[in-house]
Amino acid sequence: MIELGHLAAFLALAASLAQGAFGLTGARALAGRSAHVAFGVMLLSFITLIVAFAESDFSLALAANNSHTLKPMLYKIAGAWGNHEGSMALWCLVTLGFGAAGAMWMRTGRDQFEARTLGVQGLLASGALAYLLFASSPFLRLGPAPLQGAGLNPILQDPALAFHPPMLYLGYVGYSFVFALAAAGLIDGRIDRIWAKEARRWALAAFIPLTLGIALGSYWAYYELGWGGWWFWDPVENASLMPWLIGAALMHSVVVTEKRGSFAAWTALLAVLAFLFSVMGAFLVRSGILTSVHAFAVDPKRGMLLLAGLLVYGGFALGLFALRAPKLDGGKPWQMFSREGALVTNNVVLVVAALTVLLGTLFPLIAEATGRTISVGEPYFRLTFVPMLAALLAILPVVQVWSWGKADLTGLWKWAAGGVGLVVIFLLLGVGLWEIPLGAAFGLALGLWLIFGALWELKRRAIVLVRVFKLPLRVWGMTLAHMGLGVFILGAVVETTQRYEATLALPVGGSGTVAGWNITLNDVYAIEGPNWYADRADLTARKGSAKAELAPTKRYYPAARMPTTETAIHKTGTGDLYIALGDRRDVDGEARWVLRVYLNPLIDMVYLGVLLMGLGALFSLWPTRRRAADGA
Amino acid sequence: MVLRSILLGVMALMLAMTCSAQVLDDPAEEARAQSLMRELRCVACENEPISQSSAAIAEDMRARVRAMISEGASDDDVRDWFESRYGEFVLFRPRSKGVDGLILWGGPFGLLLIGGVIVFVLARRRKSDAEPVMPEDV
Repeated sequence: MIELGHLAAFLALAASLAQGAFGLTGARALAGRSAHVAFGVMLLSFITLIVAFAESDFSLALAANNSHTLKPMLYKIAGAWGNHEGSMALWCLVTLGFGAAGAMWMRTGRDQFEARTLGVQGLLASGALAYLLFASSPFLRLGPAPLQGAGLNPILQDPALAFHPPMLYLGYVGYSFVFALAAAGLIDGRIDRIWAKEARRWALAAFIPLTLGIALGSYWAYYELGWGGWWFWDPVENASLMPWLIGAALMHSVVVTEKRGSFAAWTALLAVLAFLFSVMGAFLVRSGILTSVHAFAVDPKRGMLLLAGLLVYGGFALGLFALRAPKLDGGKPWQMFSREGALVTNNVVLVVAALTVLLGTLFPLIAEATGRTISVGEPYFRLTFVPMLAALLAILPVVQVWSWGKADLTGLWKWAAGGVGLVVIFLLLGVGLWEIPLGAAFGLALGLWLIFGALWELKRRAIVLVRVFKLPLRVWGMTLAHMGLGVFILGAVVETTQRYEATLALPVGGSGTVAGWNITLNDVYAIEGPNWYADRADLTARKGSAKAELAPTKRYYPAARMPTTETAIHKTGTGDLYIALGDRRDVDGEARWVLRVYLNPLIDMVYLGVLLMGLGALFSLWPTRRRAADGA
Repeated sequence: MVLRSILLGVMALMLAMTCSAQVLDDPAEEARAQSLMRELRCVACENEPISQSSAAIAEDMRARVRAMISEGASDDDVRDWFESRYGEFVLFRPRSKGVDGLILWGGPFGLLLIGGVIVFVLARRRKSDAEPVMPEDV
């Protein structure tokens, strides 16, 4: 069975090479057909891999190393991509999937351009497939087959994490198609409004799953790692944040190119960079050159191959860019105070923010080469990245009403007064009444400012309230995404500054108090799952009339000889009461259980905000009736 | 300065031995201790601040931070002490000294400045015949 999959992957390589050859020679129809064939056979190949995992076929080396007969079916299947080789197979599948989707849905009316796009996409897919088949093959047999597998890394056995890699890859690899569009546009020497209309759709199609993938990963880290936090500025997280920031910049810049024909070269550069940052993310995670809490399946040699691939893609695209960019058309004229000016500011800040994340992530490596071992963590990003983006977001409600070309600045003083007034109110309230840090007071003002700005924009565009639902979907998309930023900031500021954490060491029957919650440890007992056994604590938490039963668990997976924390979370309505079970300790001859208790206020708003951003992008992507009509 | 740090450290050590990992009585001091714990790296873990780690050494380090704070040490005293004991690696907020410190802390704002100047120059060059056009959707 798996040999069939192996053969199919080779056929996919052949078909994607054909796609590259047909595409670059301008044969649109043949390139499209090759793309469909390549995707079809790769899908078959991937299915054989999943079947081998589902059947626990341990004659397959990959399944023997990463699966186990006692695992639940979901994790047997997710195990197929929960390792390096399998995830590269998924990467190839998604690359070919975007090629096939592009062959079907590109609508520019420019055959040669579309053919070249498919051609470049075919070459990108061939590179990934060659890497899969010759450097990290998931199809190798093992003889003799062991009776039992080594098991999937226990912390990955979680529903959120089963779907996190596919989502993230849809985003990363989605940018490969944007890259192909940019490369084909540059070869043509035409990065114009028609190009931008097409590129915008694919940039959004990549941005949505990337956003959701990051959110899933963050939510997983929140409840599975048992640390009470949701973002750790860990290198692996940063690796996904960089393409997201570049993708966000691209989403804004491509609109200027679409509407005004301006920023053509810059948009093409961002389109190229979004994919390069994605591949770099894969390189940073896979090579193991960075210490991380998330890194798995690490191998330096493969890292070097990925780095080589990155240099080839990057050299090709940036060389092409340098050659063609000076000849691109400049678009309509604009002043600094205009929609273009606002969007170019957005782009500068987002790109510098991405470079800041890059600097902070790579700096420990650079310093190590000079003999210093240093750490760059949350405080660094809080003092550089955060103020930069805060300043950008502070002007967002003001500039989003500006026209293209030249803005009408007559009402500007009202906006300035409103903004300054809001900040002053919050500084007075925050520092005087609530006793919160200065930055937190500013953050709250900023969050509300953004939500107000989004609502104001809807009102301004609709003029009368009933017309608000007749606004174009793209306006709703933009507004929801910006509102999501506000909601996210409110949640993030309150959560990070007002989080309360404490450690309790309780004997069975004992109780303790954390921030008004009285927590009683009723019992601790042993339970057993399909492939783990565990200690589960039975807790009762009371605060006033509120009462909650919580059961934090410490699992132990014998196959991997590894423990995991299963935190217990009680939603209080204004936040989470979050408890993780720690070790058993002997204190003065009495057995006590360590409980780590966190109160995370408004944590749901963090995720709600991110979901709103994803939803906003989806609304922007949704085809309008007019476009559907001229597409058919 | 060094002598003072060492003295504080010794006192902290003694305190840490006598009292267990209890929260400080003064909420302002506790808040300071917690924010310091978030920027000190657990030396036994992959990439975690001591505020999150459940390792035994992280617990000792937390106790030490609290003991030093309750003894009246400033935030910088605590950072200095941990740096002299475990090296710069322990600080999640790297120092800004030297050329690399300048690149790390000045780099982002320097890039922002350069980007701003480029945009300003570009915008000035093509301002002459700009006409306002209302956006139809976004």
